[in-house]
Amino acid sequence: MSDIFCPNNQEEISQFVYDCYESSRPIEIVTLNSKPIGRSIQCSQTLDLRKNSGIIEYLPDELYIKVKAGTPVIDILEILKSKKQTLGFEPVDLGYLYTGKPNYGSIGGVVSCNLSGPRRFKSGALRDHLLGFTAVNGKGECIKSGGTVVKNVTGYDLSKLLAGSYGTLSVLTELTLKVIPEPEFAETFVLYGLNPQEALEVFSKAMKTSLEISGACYYPKNNINFLRLNDLNNSKSITALRIEGPKNSVQERIQALNKIFELKKEKTILEIYQSNLFWKIAANLECFSNSQNLVAKISVPPSEATNFVNQFCEDDFLGISNKYFVEWAGGLVFVEIDNHDPSYLILEKMRKFCKEKNSHLTVIKANNTFRRSGFFITSSDENIKILASKVKHSFDPKSILNPGKIYAGI
Amino acid sequence: MSLIMPKPDEKTLSKSDSIISSLRKISKNVLSEEEEKAVYETDGLSIHRQRPIAVVLPETTEEVSKVLKYCYENNVKVVPRGAGTGLSGAALPLKDSILVVLGKFNKILEVDFENRCVVSQPGVTNLAITGAVQHEGFYYAPDPSSQLACSIGGNISTNAGGVHSLKYGVTTNNLLGVEMVLIDGTIIRLGGKNLDSEGYDLLGIVTGSEGLLGVVTEITVKILKKPQAVRAVLIGFDTNDDAGNCVADIISAGIIPAGMEIMDKPLIIATDNFAKAGYPRNVEILLIVELDGTESEVNALISKVLEIANKNKASYNRASESDEERLRFWKGRKAAFTALGVISPDYICMDGSIPRKKLGTVLNEIARLSKKYGLDVANCFHAGDGNLHPLIMFDSNNAKELKKAESFGADILKYCVKVGGVLTGEHGVGIEKRELMCEMFNNDDIQQQLSLKKAFDEKSLLNPGKVFPILHRCAEEGRVHVHKGKTRFADLPRF
Repeated sequence: MSDIFCPNNQEEISQFVYDCYESSRPIEIVTLNSKPIGRSIQCSQTLDLRKNSGIIEYLPDELYIKVKAGTPVIDILEILKSKKQTLGFEPVDLGYLYTGKPNYGSIGGVVSCNLSGPRRFKSGALRDHLLGFTAVNGKGECIKSGGTVVKNVTGYDLSKLLAGSYGTLSVLTELTLKVIPEPEFAETFVLYGLNPQEALEVFSKAMKTSLEISGACYYPKNNINFLRLNDLNNSKSITALRIEGPKNSVQERIQALNKIFELKKEKTILEIYQSNLFWKIAANLECFSNSQNLVAKISVPPSEATNFVNQFCEDDFLGISNKYFVEWAGGLVFVEIDNHDPSYLILEKMRKFCKEKNSHLTVIKANNTFRRSGFFITSSDENIKILASKVKHSFDPKSILNPGKIYAGI
Repeated sequence: MSLIMPKPDEKTLSKSDSIISSLRKISKNVLSEEEEKAVYETDGLSIHRQRPIAVVLPETTEEVSKVLKYCYENNVKVVPRGAGTGLSGAALPLKDSILVVLGKFNKILEVDFENRCVVSQPGVTNLAITGAVQHEGFYYAPDPSSQLACSIGGNISTNAGGVHSLKYGVTTNNLLGVEMVLIDGTIIRLGGKNLDSEGYDLLGIVTGSEGLLGVVTEITVKILKKPQAVRAVLIGFDTNDDAGNCVADIISAGIIPAGMEIMDKPLIIATDNFAKAGYPRNVEILLIVELDGTESEVNALISKVLEIANKNKASYNRASESDEERLRFWKGRKAAFTALGVISPDYICMDGSIPRKKLGTVLNEIARLSKKYGLDVANCFHAGDGNLHPLIMFDSNNAKELKKAESFGADILKYCVKVGGVLTGEHGVGIEKRELMCEMFNNDDIQQQLSLKKAFDEKSLLNPGKVFPILHRCAEEGRVHVHKGKTRFADLPRF
């Protein structure tokens, strides 16, 4: 068992990290209900950030909110909602994937994973919404970067680097996030019964229009039982396109979609309430609720998505049937791989695919055996690994912060 | 104008001839004659000039790699340069450096509508990216005013913005991948045609790193489909505060315009004279708001914006009735820098970012400083994202005026930081704002950035003397984090 330290503020965090740096003791960083994501790590110290919580400043006119990193995401979403605003990157609630229950955890944890929801291809990734931060680096020094304004090129853009670094570079203490007005209205255009290739053709066609699609996902027929919405038929594959904006504009654009796809017979439109619910379910990966298997996300060029799906997810002829769904208009595939093959041969093949097709695979859930010995990201380029190692060293020279969580040995 | 740069290394200078001949073995495009080098002695910050040992114009990534490897092995400094339109002096050569110019990397390599991206070499101009895809109704969103001339590679090094970044983001939000060469000649690829990479977001820190981390040799950017309808509206006000409040109210109403720009009277007149934009000449301050979406949406938004404007005592408004008229509105704004050149022999352009609600306050402070320094100033703002460009007018024939103009500029930027803003929104730090970094960052912040720089460039050969202060110690003793009576990390360089 490791010692758990639960500091109240940045000063205490700084002092704690400094002491650990001096005595070379590695620290596992956790916050409110942290999930076991990433490679598993062995540390003598645990730093629990849940007490470093609270909203520091929320200026709706300036479109930003500044919070302590241990603040529950749910609290942030609530206060934003009171001003009809929201987080543009649609935070992913990994609670469903890990425990089958909602549990966003803290904003620091969410930022550290840089997971972005369905609006990613239109509104950018989480990292694009992090305007600035303060943090404690691996030497116990308080550092900051960025600010509260959207346009800022003063020094290196460390916010990008810290988002998605899984707590391996610094302990985040304060975060400034961009907020956006809540879309006034939204509807979702659904086509039924398409095969993956047809669905991806629909995405391609829709994305070449000026209809400003803000969500585009595909659930194959073997992964729709869990979808229970009044107006949704869950017996056939679902291809969904979301449109957001002022009401009349949304309705005009939905009509335009209807016209473009007039030859497709089986379709429906989800009104705002069900549409919002549908995309929340998609964002939170509820189709993999409490999965006991390995779940990976593969970021692909949309033109390679069909190829990936055919090789690794669904092929009647080859008898491949892994539970999956496609997000980001073909730019992202989530796939579940069962634990029957302990060597995860299929993962090796996916890794090869990623190398050849300019794609990236990240494991987002795995059992403890895999977390101890498996790879978490594809990273086949040795030069990038060397650079990553130097970057880690520049923040955390003794490698005491979440050591090995992303890269083995770094 | 004297500018303090890192002391040139005499040893390097003494072997200039051998450096030049070695580079000639790698590249056929090495310029070493004084008149040839003169073309490259400055960038958009033309008050500072310096010729390097040699100028190299490589043609392939392999050539760049060999040049950098040679420099790394022989401890020669390297300054990368795109089109040389940068306004902060980031591409100013050093006396003991070589200048690597990416001008020959001028081809668009692939237009990929399926993946909504363009793969290009870095020397291609920003506007040429849009030029390559507009026949299919696509465009590249970041649009700095210099887009006709500035290179896409240079855009990456400064994380360039433009007038539409409020809704569509700046370079970093539209960049998918790069191929780049590290100082030791290693060629790496970051990102690609997919949206998210894995591991550390190295692409994110390379963007806006002003040529300090590597030399970008290939670029993949996202392209967007043009909106169905776009209209712009001109709104005039009598006071800075009314205009500032109007901007804040538009945002509070949940409207994110595609662009929202402000110009003050001197610029309204100058740009209207220059570009015949059709601006009202009897208003003190002019707001241009551009809205896009479906036609009915745009019309509804324009009514909403005008309603807000009237509540804030707008004295003039006109909505564009045709695309021609809309483009004319922008022609004036985009010609701001050129137009000012007609009325003032010289000017320097500042680039702070501030919280939107402080627009009025900051404009008033700039007016006060203008009186204090006895120098005229014209203002244009990317009001939507609080990015201001005060243009301070002076005459460079009068040495005292330049010094005054620089102090005036520094005071404006310090004030920006004071009201919660930052030193530079889109032009970069370069040499211009280098010494002001301590206004925003303390010693630990700067040391962290310097450590990161070392991760990429251990010998500090890439573009030294830029971005980080070399004159001051930001860290006054009182600000250094002292634990148990000892100064930490005493062995670290304190610039």
